[in-house]
Amino acid sequence: MHEPCEGRSDSVSEGHAEQTNDDPFLRYAARFDRPIGDVRNMLRPPGAVPAAIARALGLPAAAVQGPASFFSDFSAQRGARHVRVCTAAACFAATAGAHVAEVEAALGVETGRRTADGSVSIQAVRCLGYCFAGPAALDGDQACAGADLASQLRGESPPEAPPIPVHNDSPVPVVTAGLVGTAQPWSVWPGVLASGAPHEILGQVESARLRGRGGAGFSAAAKWRAALEHPGPRVVVANGDEGDPGSYADRLLMEQDPHRVLEGLALACFAVGAATGIVFVRSEYPRAAARLREALLEARAAGFLGPETGGKGFSLEIQVVEGAGSYVSGEETALLNGLEGLRGVVRPRPPFPTGRGLHGRPTVVNNVETLSALPWIVQHGGAAYAALGTPEETGTVLVCLSERFRRPGAYEVQIGTPLRRIVEELGGGLRGGATLRSLQIGGPLGGFVGPDDLDVPLSNAALSRRNAALGHAGIVAFDDRLSGRQVLGNLWDFAAAESCGQCSPCRVGTWRGSALSERPDDPEIRRERGEVLRTMAAGSLCAFGRRVPAAVRSLARVYSLDGWQS
Amino acid sequence: MAIVRVFVDGRQVEVAAGATLLDAVRAAGLALPTLCHDDRLTTVASCRTCLVDVAGRDPAAACSTPAVDGVHIAVADSRGLRREALQAIVAGLPPRALDVPVDRSELARQCADYGVVAPAGSPRPPERGVDHSHPYVKLDRDLCIACGRCVRACAEIQGTFALTLVGRGSATVVAPGTGGPWAESDCVSCGACVDTCPTGALSEPGLLLNLLPIERQTLTTCGYCGVGCSLEVSTRDNAIMTVRPATDLSVNRGHACVKGRFAHGFLGSSDRPTGPLIRKNGTLTPASWEEATSYVAAKLGEVRAEDPDGFALISSARATNEENYLAQKFARAVMGTNNVDNCARLCHAPSAAGLAATFGLGGGTNPFDDLDRCDAILLVGANPTAAHPVVGSRIFQRVMEGARLVVVDPRRTSLARHADVHLRPQPGTNVAVFNGLAHLLVREGLVDDDFLNTHTSGYEELLGLLGDYPPDRVAEISGVPAEDLVRAALMYGQALAPAIFYGLGVTEHLHGTDGVRTLSNLALLRGAVGPGSGGGVNPLRGQNNVQGASDMGALPDLLPGYQKVSDPKARSRFAVAWRTSIPPRPGLRIPQMFAAARGGSLKALWVIGEDVLTTDPNSTAVRAALAACPLVICNDLFLSPTAAAADVVFPVAAWLEKDGTFVNFDRRFQRVREAVAPPGGARTDFAVLVDVAARMGADLGCATPAEAMAECAIVAPLFGGISHPRLDKDGPLHWPCVSAASPGTPRLYQDRFATPDGLAHLAARPYLPPGEQCDAEFPFLLITGRRGEHYNSGSMTRRTDNLHLLTEETVDVEPGDASALGLSEGDYVQLDSRHGTAVLRVRITDEVEPGQVFAGFHFPGATVNSLTSSLADEATGCPEYKVTAVRVAVRP
Repeated sequence: MHEPCEGRSDSVSEGHAEQTNDDPFLRYAARFDRPIGDVRNMLRPPGAVPAAIARALGLPAAAVQGPASFFSDFSAQRGARHVRVCTAAACFAATAGAHVAEVEAALGVETGRRTADGSVSIQAVRCLGYCFAGPAALDGDQACAGADLASQLRGESPPEAPPIPVHNDSPVPVVTAGLVGTAQPWSVWPGVLASGAPHEILGQVESARLRGRGGAGFSAAAKWRAALEHPGPRVVVANGDEGDPGSYADRLLMEQDPHRVLEGLALACFAVGAATGIVFVRSEYPRAAARLREALLEARAAGFLGPETGGKGFSLEIQVVEGAGSYVSGEETALLNGLEGLRGVVRPRPPFPTGRGLHGRPTVVNNVETLSALPWIVQHGGAAYAALGTPEETGTVLVCLSERFRRPGAYEVQIGTPLRRIVEELGGGLRGGATLRSLQIGGPLGGFVGPDDLDVPLSNAALSRRNAALGHAGIVAFDDRLSGRQVLGNLWDFAAAESCGQCSPCRVGTWRGSALSERPDDPEIRRERGEVLRTMAAGSLCAFGRRVPAAVRSLARVYSLDGWQS
Repeated sequence: MAIVRVFVDGRQVEVAAGATLLDAVRAAGLALPTLCHDDRLTTVASCRTCLVDVAGRDPAAACSTPAVDGVHIAVADSRGLRREALQAIVAGLPPRALDVPVDRSELARQCADYGVVAPAGSPRPPERGVDHSHPYVKLDRDLCIACGRCVRACAEIQGTFALTLVGRGSATVVAPGTGGPWAESDCVSCGACVDTCPTGALSEPGLLLNLLPIERQTLTTCGYCGVGCSLEVSTRDNAIMTVRPATDLSVNRGHACVKGRFAHGFLGSSDRPTGPLIRKNGTLTPASWEEATSYVAAKLGEVRAEDPDGFALISSARATNEENYLAQKFARAVMGTNNVDNCARLCHAPSAAGLAATFGLGGGTNPFDDLDRCDAILLVGANPTAAHPVVGSRIFQRVMEGARLVVVDPRRTSLARHADVHLRPQPGTNVAVFNGLAHLLVREGLVDDDFLNTHTSGYEELLGLLGDYPPDRVAEISGVPAEDLVRAALMYGQALAPAIFYGLGVTEHLHGTDGVRTLSNLALLRGAVGPGSGGGVNPLRGQNNVQGASDMGALPDLLPGYQKVSDPKARSRFAVAWRTSIPPRPGLRIPQMFAAARGGSLKALWVIGEDVLTTDPNSTAVRAALAACPLVICNDLFLSPTAAAADVVFPVAAWLEKDGTFVNFDRRFQRVREAVAPPGGARTDFAVLVDVAARMGADLGCATPAEAMAECAIVAPLFGGISHPRLDKDGPLHWPCVSAASPGTPRLYQDRFATPDGLAHLAARPYLPPGEQCDAEFPFLLITGRRGEHYNSGSMTRRTDNLHLLTEETVDVEPGDASALGLSEGDYVQLDSRHGTAVLRVRITDEVEPGQVFAGFHFPGATVNSLTSSLADEATGCPEYKVTAVRVAVRP
């Protein structure tokens, strides 16, 4: 999900240094030395009892009950066989939602329920990263995808977990250098360790003008500098909580080229002087977590990581941590709350994570795709990267095309590549000659464009002029089988299901938006809809609540829906 | 401190660096809705109703946005933003959310101000229901706005961490962390969540449904424990609607506990006597006030004529200062005897004696607020979480802030679970532990030599004794591992400003006064009291006015203001003021009164506001004393076991029904005000004393409590500056307060101690074994103490809904012991001591050590004090309540 802009992080007031607004449960755990960070892992086994975990860890029951009821992995009813079925945009676009009922029929249990004998349960999740082959589900940790999803789950056909098609359309592959080219992982790291200096890495990234690919597009170098202003120890988190439906770029990188992710993370840690790196992977990507853990062992065995790495006095420990089912966990502060063992809600800022992040340490959170560009940038120089893309937005982006396209898959393109080229030439238009009705770009916080809007470069600047946004560059195509109201309903359902509930405008607004989307249009309803959109956009604590209204408005514009455009 | 200039609607205001925009708005004299914000709590900025326009950027939540120098904010012009933010919250609530009276809902108040009304139609949120399970906290989930103030209040004020937000998105709602009904949760019913809730989602049952406005607010002082919380009592038609903790100038800073906050239902209990009773033909029979007071006056006249010392009076630590002053004046001036005592005898007499011997005065050395600057706390023999809840919370919060905590207590109390070091000495071995810690302070070079040279005497003698208390030997005596002793000594000794708080676990021993003195040694060795730094030595007084009862001279050897009866100059001062002579010989202490009664020399005993049959040790002996005494008079709210055994019973007013002052545990004189009138048949203790004296032909000289305080100020220099008008005007005053010009003395000793030589006296006292010893026949050691839900004999709290929170007394047994004895939770067991028997249900808990059991004494049916012995502190007569050898057997 989009990381909110940290444009003002350099003006963080130092005045509040003494008065901490840290969560009281976190302060309790820190003061009395109780391992609250273990809460999340202890909640993972089905049947985990929060009160028993609290007793075991010496924590108040509330410290466990809060997260247990927040994360959908824990609050969901879980049977011996637990099936997570995707209800998000791309799978919805593939079937109009029909696959959910088919899966329910196949398994004999309703979504959100467990059979009476406890044998099977279904949980609705929002995006499994199989947007190119939906509808999709995870049967335990086994992915299944395809139009015959229900019969796969019934065991009538073998589970299909197709690989992600990946192509490079950039003059040179950057993040896909290892996937489509010959670049070897860990090729720059030994040199950096041997003779590099942190400020040189920072300088290259600064001249590359690399921006965060997670959504907000904040300058990576500026974020690093903000963290460097604060005394260490520092932490870098690789944000692999790729929750935007329609995007599977991070999954691709984490599963298919995990060493590149780790090398990028190592370079970021080196640049900001962090001895701790964390890869945060959403639980909907079990294979990504497994691949990263394998890669981590290999990297350690190869001597790339560990104490006194490379004999230069730089120690680096990296760990892989899994999420527990919450879209908002992709937001930096919510991610940190989750890592610390708390409810995964958003914190107000300031303080910014770069000043006061994980356990109070200055913390840099960089998206996985962002980090994956670092090895190339360090190898080829910042200027080479800056030569790609547009003058304002440099480099490449990994665009993901959804199942409706004739040639779905992940395409590395320069920023600024015309949308029409991506949709028609790379994606080949829609499959089966279907009629394109809209494109959702950048997930639920991005926006919608219509078939007449394709002559626009794929850049944040250009897309925002059309009330859309680049976001994480997932592109979900909707054909004309789906009405605007259906697409809108799916968007609001997503928002209502994933709002963390911390701030009132979003907590009430997402529910209300969802309810109002089902009401017939009338002046009073229209007034209320306007109120929801205005209050969410003006008052929400994070980008989720602030951006959903823009996505709704752009959708309403594309579909000419009444009552949502004000 | 750096100053930041902020322009609020064009007007420049200055705030301290680190302030928020909200601070700046308030500095400009403006207000914002702040539904998720409470100044006492951390900021979450989640309600978004304090949005203001900030020049050059997006609107910001004022509560969480730092004020940067030169920033311009628009408050008036951003009213629409806040109105919409309020509207957005209201849209998620049922319309009845705005029907709550505005004096009970911050949300309703703000919506009224901003013209926000409930949305007419449109989607209604799904109903989530009400949790009615708890007697004092009703959770109406549909009114919850997930602001989390309750969660933070529970954590950051009370320190219980019982609550959390659960669910997510629009389903987010507060819930007890244990998941089930509120009544079965970790909630300790302090009311902090109810008080901070901005919507009424958490409320006192019934309060929101009563749409009538509050008629009167009365600021008074709590009549339960000695903390002395300021309470704001809201009434209507002479009935209490609600009680809320006051914030300004209060020791409690807006916090309270289940007793002060909620337990006032006893006032309307149907079993309050409606008039005096006189025993006729063996039966207590209703009598008029005139008949009863005349009867008592006549009888006491006879006793006085025969032998004034045939009369004794137990004054009440529950009553006001003015009533205590009058009671001792009655004994001394009307009856002519010094036979007056109060229940401090049973709890903190060793404190008065030990602290006075060490420092010069018998009170705690420091104001409680000094806790805020302490970096280490030594808490000994006290469970403030239950017995002094607001103090327990404040200590916990200080520890959360980083202060180190050493707990010395055989029980694993709530604070012990959060201690950095917990020493669990065998009960009765305190003196060895304190001497052992002193030994270590010396050994580790942690004594303050300059302080010792300048401000103390007796160091050489103490050093000589301490040689006998190396850690290994202390470990042998007390069972505390030597390394834990070292850690504790280092923690206390290395702190810059350590404080000592202690309770009855220090005093209620055969050598309780030695315990107080050897504990005080630690503060002196460290230079952490008086002219030194640190938080001193502070007893946690048990009853609301146990400090005041002693201050007022309800003691056999001391006149008001701690003037010795044996001092002719003091006596003559009172003789002049009272126009009568003061008997020169100190009178009887409470246990001596009972002995005199049993011996036949005591002819009349007046017991004011104390259930001696329940709360004094060795009940069998007390009952014999009451039976032997020809005339027992009892003032009480209820027909307590003691009242039922008396010959005359005066039904009297409770603390919420009368006027006067209390002195709390840190020597703070605070006003007590009549919030409701007493029921028709009851009078104040003050009025009863005045009436009986008048019928005996004596004028006590003070028609009102204010006049009594004024007279006390004249005769007791320590309180010379205290008066009702001044307390009303300026708020609480710490004694000593010698004149109207004195601001009071929060810190008892500034430049010197109050001993004649100005030095504090270190005490070289050896460890001596306790009086009660376990043996093969009585292998378990019983400790008695308080439970959080009830108070002392329980006569008040058992007549409130607190009874639903704790329905009966139990005996706490360690799990291993329980299994060895074949006991299961809830089994009835019989406890036998060398003195009596009690039958209790078993509660199995790791709070107690193997070989030890614990029981409260709040339920008279449980007769716990029939088990305790008559052994008492050799210096002061304070009973050895904390050590009783018992056997535990499944009830036959």
